[in-house]
Amino acid sequence: MSGASLATGTTPGTAIAANAAMRERRQALWRAARRVLLPVLTAALALAAWEWGARASGVSAMVLVPPSAVWSVLANSWPILLEHTLVTLREVTAGFLLAAGGGIALGTLLTASTRIRQTIQPLVVFFQLIPKIALAPLFIVWLGVGPSSRLAFVLFIAFFPVAVSTAAGLMSAERNALLLCRSLTATGWQTFHSVRFPYAVPHIFAGLKICATVAMIGQVVGEFVTAQQGLGYIVMFASAAAETALVFAAVTLLCGLGLLLYGVVAVAEWLVLRWFGAPISSSQF
Amino acid sequence: MNAPASAPKATALASPVPAGPQGSVQARPPTPRPDFIKVESARKVYATGRDTVEAVSDVSFSVTRGEFVAILGPSGCGKSTLLMMCAGLESITSGRIGIDSMPMTGPRESIGVMFQDSTLLPWKSVLENILFPVRIMRRPVRDYMDRARSLLAMTGLTGFEHKKPHQLSGGMRQRAAICRALVTDPDILLMDEPFSALDAMTRDEMNEALLGIWDRQPKTALFVTHSIREAVLLADRVLVMTRRPATVVEDLRIPFPRPRDPSIGESEEFNRLVRHLRGLIERGPRGAGAPPAMAATP
Repeated sequence: MSGASLATGTTPGTAIAANAAMRERRQALWRAARRVLLPVLTAALALAAWEWGARASGVSAMVLVPPSAVWSVLANSWPILLEHTLVTLREVTAGFLLAAGGGIALGTLLTASTRIRQTIQPLVVFFQLIPKIALAPLFIVWLGVGPSSRLAFVLFIAFFPVAVSTAAGLMSAERNALLLCRSLTATGWQTFHSVRFPYAVPHIFAGLKICATVAMIGQVVGEFVTAQQGLGYIVMFASAAAETALVFAAVTLLCGLGLLLYGVVAVAEWLVLRWFGAPISSSQF
Repeated sequence: MNAPASAPKATALASPVPAGPQGSVQARPPTPRPDFIKVESARKVYATGRDTVEAVSDVSFSVTRGEFVAILGPSGCGKSTLLMMCAGLESITSGRIGIDSMPMTGPRESIGVMFQDSTLLPWKSVLENILFPVRIMRRPVRDYMDRARSLLAMTGLTGFEHKKPHQLSGGMRQRAAICRALVTDPDILLMDEPFSALDAMTRDEMNEALLGIWDRQPKTALFVTHSIREAVLLADRVLVMTRRPATVVEDLRIPFPRPRDPSIGESEEFNRLVRHLRGLIERGPRGAGAPPAMAATP
């Protein structure tokens, strides 16, 4: 023990340096903690104010439900809520994956040739302008009230952002990188997979993030109109029965699902950008 | 069409550069060297709306195998367009470009191209970037690994092969681009102002590096630049292009022997050549005194 203290304190200089380093590390830790603590504390304060306001104002719990009531619904009816959560999760994941795949495919097709772009691009823009939610009831007419109709609606509403960002990304490859490929007598496919597509990846992720949030909206709207199962169905059902706490419980779970889907995309993006080695948007190469 | 202009048999025989089958040790036979790159009345006209812009008008010159030729001119004189035409990356409006007595129809594997920026793929390591042409040409990578590593050593990049481009300085990135251009051992290297994006000191360093590489790996090269000193230091011949007309007005031989040292830049002869070229660029072919070697439209 004394040997150890002797070894660390051989010269005063190293001891001071070690102290400084420790102080530095503690400050860095505090800075990181602050970034989490501040928003969490703010949210907690808002919830507390909501709770106090709901109780003190004397407004009916049907209109202004206190957070504690929402929490007790979540705690007491979790088996039934979990069942519907899993349905929504399964369907929105399938819809997201289909929309992502379809969007990337359409975006690629858009940039395949000038003639195809000239043919499809105006139609895609026009399609974007349709208030797509207005068409949701039609999907029941076409595909019934089952999961296939919700899946189709999610695909319909969520794949445009991916298609547009994929097309933009594929067009964003460095001009000289494409010239380099041509000078090396690269085939179209080689240029696509070794230069065009990697340059598009960050753009595609931007589209996928939008896709994730829009897919959640599509899923809930699909569950509203088909009214069969899922958290959207719970929201409809509970609103009709004036069970406001249950509505909030379902919405809380929907938020969790949305966060999960978005989080998965964000983590995938982080991993891929780390593989890229640098933010590719900076055109210093 | 252009086959009888230069003897195709002779070019084919001459292609393995050093000691031929005769096994001559010392003296190379003094036969006239055939044209390796032959540009005949090449023109490039762009149509912009109602106007047409003549980017290159009636350029003719030829380059023999192993020659380092600089194309010097002010910005906007069409020198980059001319280079891209030689690379097969730009179409020719009229005239002919032949390489190794074959007419230019498009990019070829035997021509390496370097651009103003290094054009390294940011997600690939330095080594993977250098091996990129090998992969694109579907050649076995292991056959080129030793060459890639020796090029890295020659350009002082040993130890950086697994770094990403953004971890390198601008000069190092451009050196990696040189390695990439040389890895498949092309016959011709075309360089489009490769060092113009670098600061002056890095540029001097790159010129020295390029001279060193040329002593060990002599190649036929076209080097586009707007730096007069760079052209005189690096090239065996300097072609001067003007803006109007966008054509070659002077074909100047640079007499300095190789291997060259950057210190020749202080010699009187060097500065005389630089002054002559500056005169040509500033005042046009008539102001410089010496008659232009090639016909220029008045």
